[in-house]
Amino acid sequence: MARIVILGSGVAGHTAASFARAWLGRGDDVTVISPRPDYNWVPSNIWVGVGLMAPEKVVFPLAPLYERKGIEFVIGAASALHPEGDPTSRDPFVDVELAGGESKRVPYDFLINATGPALRFDKTPGLGPDGGFSQSVCLPDHASAASAALDEEVERMRRGERRKFVVGVGHGTCTCEGAAFEYIVNLEFELRARGVRDRAEIMWLTNEYELGDFGMGGMHLKRGGYVTPSSIFNESLFAERGIDWIKRAHVSQVSEGALEYETLDGATSGLQFDFAMLLPPFSGVGLKAFDAAGEDITEQMFMPNGFMRVDADYSGKPVEEWRASDWPRSYQSPLYPNVFAAGIAFAPPHPISTPRKSPNGTVIAPAPPRTGMPSASIGKAVAASIVDMVRGADGPTHHASMAEMGAACVASAGASLTKGTAASMTVFPIVPDYERYPEYGRDGARTFGEIGLAGHWIKLLLHHMFLYKARMRPGWRLIPE
Amino acid sequence: MDDESSYATRPTRFTLLMRTFLPWQLWRFAVVNLKMIDISRRNNHGARR
Repeated sequence: MARIVILGSGVAGHTAASFARAWLGRGDDVTVISPRPDYNWVPSNIWVGVGLMAPEKVVFPLAPLYERKGIEFVIGAASALHPEGDPTSRDPFVDVELAGGESKRVPYDFLINATGPALRFDKTPGLGPDGGFSQSVCLPDHASAASAALDEEVERMRRGERRKFVVGVGHGTCTCEGAAFEYIVNLEFELRARGVRDRAEIMWLTNEYELGDFGMGGMHLKRGGYVTPSSIFNESLFAERGIDWIKRAHVSQVSEGALEYETLDGATSGLQFDFAMLLPPFSGVGLKAFDAAGEDITEQMFMPNGFMRVDADYSGKPVEEWRASDWPRSYQSPLYPNVFAAGIAFAPPHPISTPRKSPNGTVIAPAPPRTGMPSASIGKAVAASIVDMVRGADGPTHHASMAEMGAACVASAGASLTKGTAASMTVFPIVPDYERYPEYGRDGARTFGEIGLAGHWIKLLLHHMFLYKARMRPGWRLIPE
Repeated sequence: MDDESSYATRPTRFTLLMRTFLPWQLWRFAVVNLKMIDISRRNNHGARR
């Protein structure tokens, strides 16, 4: 009998728990530890944030589902790993802070760290909805607040006022530019739908070197007889929609109705706004780790940014020496073979986009994205490896390197069944592999993008399909990640 | 900014029309789905049991 403990119930953690439970026998235990009682299908938070979807449509409670499926659910935040046990016992365990302030020790045979990101609004003074001056769509309640703030702006515009909207990222090291991109084009569509677009000035503010970078170094797409960089398509969409942009920017301060930013050339500027939706940078959730003697081994298990070290190359080599093989395949901890990380919780070996600094030393470069499809694929591969190891395999048997997998992304650009559009994109692989694809690092036949109504239908279909899968309804395993 | 925006590629009226032209979009729905299924199938190659 084995006990598999999964920290986190997001896309990676919930996928890993679902498959581990389905594949393991009833004699083995699967436990999920998460501070949040609900599952949130995060991609649809965008629609909540523009008022097109109720927050309860993007979440569901996990406890009844886990009870039905035989998954133990502990609502609490993991605070420390003890992979060698402690002086009283050699059995590995996790310290968990429960909601009521008590703490609990949860033993494990195999551990998956799928804690996702800590939302570091604190990295930029004044950033964020909790005590700050900007909105967010990272969580359902953030998205609800953004929607309410947007309603107020629309009311003002209906009374004849002009309003200024700023959407993008709130720090030079942010990731998930794709989500902010989705928000700004949905916002623009929604302002048109509400009849107030002519009174709105909309600005995109990003840390990307070029638009369409999305933390993946951009893409090259075959279109109209040319191989065209994704920046062309992104700029085209913004120009068509009347959205201005500021790129290569690090937001250094947000105050009421204004923000300050620095650009890669070292210049600093200010920007006034009436409504700002700016995503925060991410870090690990701050898990600690201790050895059998109680010595702090956090630095050995985790990178300084709090993400967990796995089977990747963390030597910090220069960009010209980056290889696809630097990226992890099994997501196993190099120190403890029964510990894995999945989704955002694993530490990437380095960015995908070229790192850049301003003359003042400010890092202005997107961090690599690892949400959605890659998170789910990694969670599933890790669960499969653990199940095999429970059954006697010597080591991980499954792999899901981001340099060997692709991503499909549908970025909604307006929600209407007949007039809506979305940008549908696939990229293969996510991390460019210049040894395999010397010209652009990616497979040109499998890297594509287009805008159209079909994309909106697919986005809607995915929303329902992935929530159906997450609820583990009949046939859920047939739905791809 | 404004300067860059004026240099950006813009869609023609035909392109805009095709983005919401139902017969074409039904076809694209099928094509894009197949492309995404292909990616998903490749991703699961390492996690298939």
